[in-house]
Amino acid sequence: MPADRPQRKTFPWIRAFIGTAVVGALIVVGAQIFEQQLHPVKPGGTPPPRVPNADFPTDTFDGKDVTQPINYSHKLHAGDLGINCLYCHTYARRSKVAGIPPTAKCMGCHTVVGTEKPEIQKLTAMWSKGQSPAWKKVNDVPDFVHFSHERHLQRFLLNNKDMNIKDSPDVCAMCHGDMNTVGVAKKMKPLTMGFCVTCHEKNKGPADCTRCHK
Amino acid sequence: MSKTKIDRRNFLKVLGLGSAGAALAGCDMPSYVTSDEGKENIYSYLAPEEYVIPGIGVWYASTCQQCPASCGVHGRVREGRVLKLEGNPDASVNKGKICQMGQAAIQGHFHPERIENPLINGQKATWDEALALVAKKSGGAAWLTGAMSGHQRVLIDAHRTAGGNARHYAVEVVNARPWEDASLATLGDANPNLHIDKARAVLAVGADFLGTWGNPVKSMRDYGNFRSAPRGVLMSIEPAMSMTGANSDIWVTARPGSEAAVLMGVGHILTTKHGVSVADMPSAALAFADMTPTKVLGLSDVKEEQLAKIADTLMANSPSLILANANHDTAKVAQVLNMMLGNVGQTLTPSAAITAEALLPVTGSSKDLVEFAMDAKAGKISSVFISGTNPVFLAPSKLDMAGALAKVGFKVAIADFHDETTTACDVVLPASSALEAWGTHVPVDGSDAGEVYIQQPLMENVHANTRGLGDILLAVAKGAGVDGLAEFEDYYGYLRTAVSALIGSDLEGDWNSILQKGKAVTAVNHSNFNAGGDVALGFSEPAAKAGTLTLITSARQGLFDGRHANLPWLQEAPDQISKAVWDSWAEIHPKTAAKIGAKDGDYITITSANGSITTRVFIYKGIHQDAISVPMGRGHTNYGLYAKNGVNPLSLLDASSGDRQTTELLNSGVSVTVKPTGDNRHLVRLMDVDSQHGRKLAATITADQFDRNQGGA
Repeated sequence: MPADRPQRKTFPWIRAFIGTAVVGALIVVGAQIFEQQLHPVKPGGTPPPRVPNADFPTDTFDGKDVTQPINYSHKLHAGDLGINCLYCHTYARRSKVAGIPPTAKCMGCHTVVGTEKPEIQKLTAMWSKGQSPAWKKVNDVPDFVHFSHERHLQRFLLNNKDMNIKDSPDVCAMCHGDMNTVGVAKKMKPLTMGFCVTCHEKNKGPADCTRCHK
Repeated sequence: MSKTKIDRRNFLKVLGLGSAGAALAGCDMPSYVTSDEGKENIYSYLAPEEYVIPGIGVWYASTCQQCPASCGVHGRVREGRVLKLEGNPDASVNKGKICQMGQAAIQGHFHPERIENPLINGQKATWDEALALVAKKSGGAAWLTGAMSGHQRVLIDAHRTAGGNARHYAVEVVNARPWEDASLATLGDANPNLHIDKARAVLAVGADFLGTWGNPVKSMRDYGNFRSAPRGVLMSIEPAMSMTGANSDIWVTARPGSEAAVLMGVGHILTTKHGVSVADMPSAALAFADMTPTKVLGLSDVKEEQLAKIADTLMANSPSLILANANHDTAKVAQVLNMMLGNVGQTLTPSAAITAEALLPVTGSSKDLVEFAMDAKAGKISSVFISGTNPVFLAPSKLDMAGALAKVGFKVAIADFHDETTTACDVVLPASSALEAWGTHVPVDGSDAGEVYIQQPLMENVHANTRGLGDILLAVAKGAGVDGLAEFEDYYGYLRTAVSALIGSDLEGDWNSILQKGKAVTAVNHSNFNAGGDVALGFSEPAAKAGTLTLITSARQGLFDGRHANLPWLQEAPDQISKAVWDSWAEIHPKTAAKIGAKDGDYITITSANGSITTRVFIYKGIHQDAISVPMGRGHTNYGLYAKNGVNPLSLLDASSGDRQTTELLNSGVSVTVKPTGDNRHLVRLMDVDSQHGRKLAATITADQFDRNQGGA
């Protein structure tokens, strides 16, 4: 009587498993390629500014041109006229959010400055009716991410001994790109988790999950 | 060679893997897809106050309106929205604490079912149309409200006086009326200040001061001090366990309706065994002498040892405090015992009401509910304003409140939600939530400090076309031609002037400091007790015989009298005793359950002379064998999507039993019969089982160990 040949263990579902894995991988990779095509990342461009005691994130993002209720220009106000970011976005150093400046701040100048311009007249009309413009959000992180402008400004600007408050555009540019060149606003950095984590690694920021995902 | 064969098992494996793959793919989607550019609007402030910073909350003081206690609150406001309430530390009744009902005010405020526009006969109308109709047809109108105080009460009184002095019915089914009446009869003070924190022993008889009686937040704080060293002893006598009973060291269960006899039995032992003198109250002495422990046992199933233990504890821990709300008889015995034990002046002190009497609270009772129905049916009420109460839901079916309301010619509801009552009204005026309106409130309980709490809006109206209760009252009063109101454009202006008169200053700084603290401080009348000497004590034997079931409609913090049934936060908060959520249940003793042949989760039909309800059994040892307890609050028929569940035990009560003057609905104790329907469905409860599965989640020691190691009572 011949001895029983040891039965080789078979995996009848291995093909189905491999097939499913391939389909899953295709979905993942496909989704990412699809996203890349929607927002092609352009490398290069002007060299980034230098922030002392910090590693400047180099990733860029080519955001959409979003139509806004008033055709405000960062290029004019911040670039040509040299108004400090923190003059208008004054909440950035005190709060989680940088905030859109209150209309009262705009009207502080524009009751006398540029009153002949149609965009200013649009703003003045809203102001006199007690309405604030419905700006479209451009830079945003998902609701499950807790990001604090205050902490980041403390680290890179206010508590950075080699920085002066007048250099705030360089610090803001780390995450917002060079706002001195754009109109109302444009997303110029990806603001993805990869972007955040890379910068946290290079600048020795906190790495525990619960710092951002509370 | 292996054969690939798709059988059921393999099919499931592939399906599982496929799903997992798809889920993984989903997880890996780039996160910026969810926060794409230009998708969301962002608005700036127009001209904010200097201290307003987006992303950082500012706290404003206001007053909670979730129950009649009127606790002071602070609301966190961020970007123009109120997000969270906490107690106001400057408010002496609650000193920085609030309860779960207060926390849930936020949910009522942002609730999707709020009434947004005035309605005439159910049709959308403008404010001008609605107010014109109200002014035309509401001459001589009565008012049907919940407990009411402050300048809202002043305006209601002014409206009534101008229109022929119709009655103001104040309805609160969960109330302290038996205690108030007994205190007035024995001490000459309806709301003496209670000092639970100064007592060394507290005996609660149907007064659930840790749950719903009086101001539970204040009582809980005092209870905390009462329990810290030297630890006070808490005792309870009640037919079904309440929050207070659950926290007691000695819990005695008595047959429903026999509480007065048990307390008299305690009095009997105090006089005979401990020689406490009742010489100056001969009628009381007679009643105590008559109520022998044997008699008490027959009436209430409470044994002599239990009575003796309560009496001994009261003697050993002086001063004590006896609180009773089970019924008028019981509350009277309690006050007599308080006098005998020397608690009056120590743990019970005279109230000090503010001198501005027009602002004092009108406390509610169910007597007003019954009388409203009777007056309406008799055709004595031509028109009525209804605000802050839901008579159609609260009234027992025997009262036929819907029929009574139909007899009233013109009915106006001032409400923020549709309920059983608003649908019966001709005009519905949409009220702002309590967090959007101005008002003043005077707490009933314990404010010697002469405080008048200010309710200020914590944010703009969520629905632009609603108005604050005060604004509506002002418009209605103006429409009725009340003198002296023409100069006030809105209720804010009226309050500002009235509060300035109250504090004797109209300086901007003083007003701002009032708003900041959430209270105005005014003069008080210090009074003295006026004990009336001898007190006649009575005990009427309950109609239900031993061995038959009596329905108890227990009040619980959460849904309260049903007004919070539309708030999912409170529906899903587990009941304090049964841990059940989102549905009604009936608590019965295991022996009763065995008798009727019901097990946990069985549906039973509870039938009284006035109707029947069907709900599930929850078998529980903390209830007398002759009692069946169905907590109230659920069983709405028209209170929105979230309040559809459960049954309303109030409908079974008998509003005409006993003397209406002295019988509160909740203590009326109706006889019921119970029959299982044969259906069973698991009652959803937090924790679900009583076993800790050997994990010592809550460590326990035996009573013997405790006595030896901790020196317990």
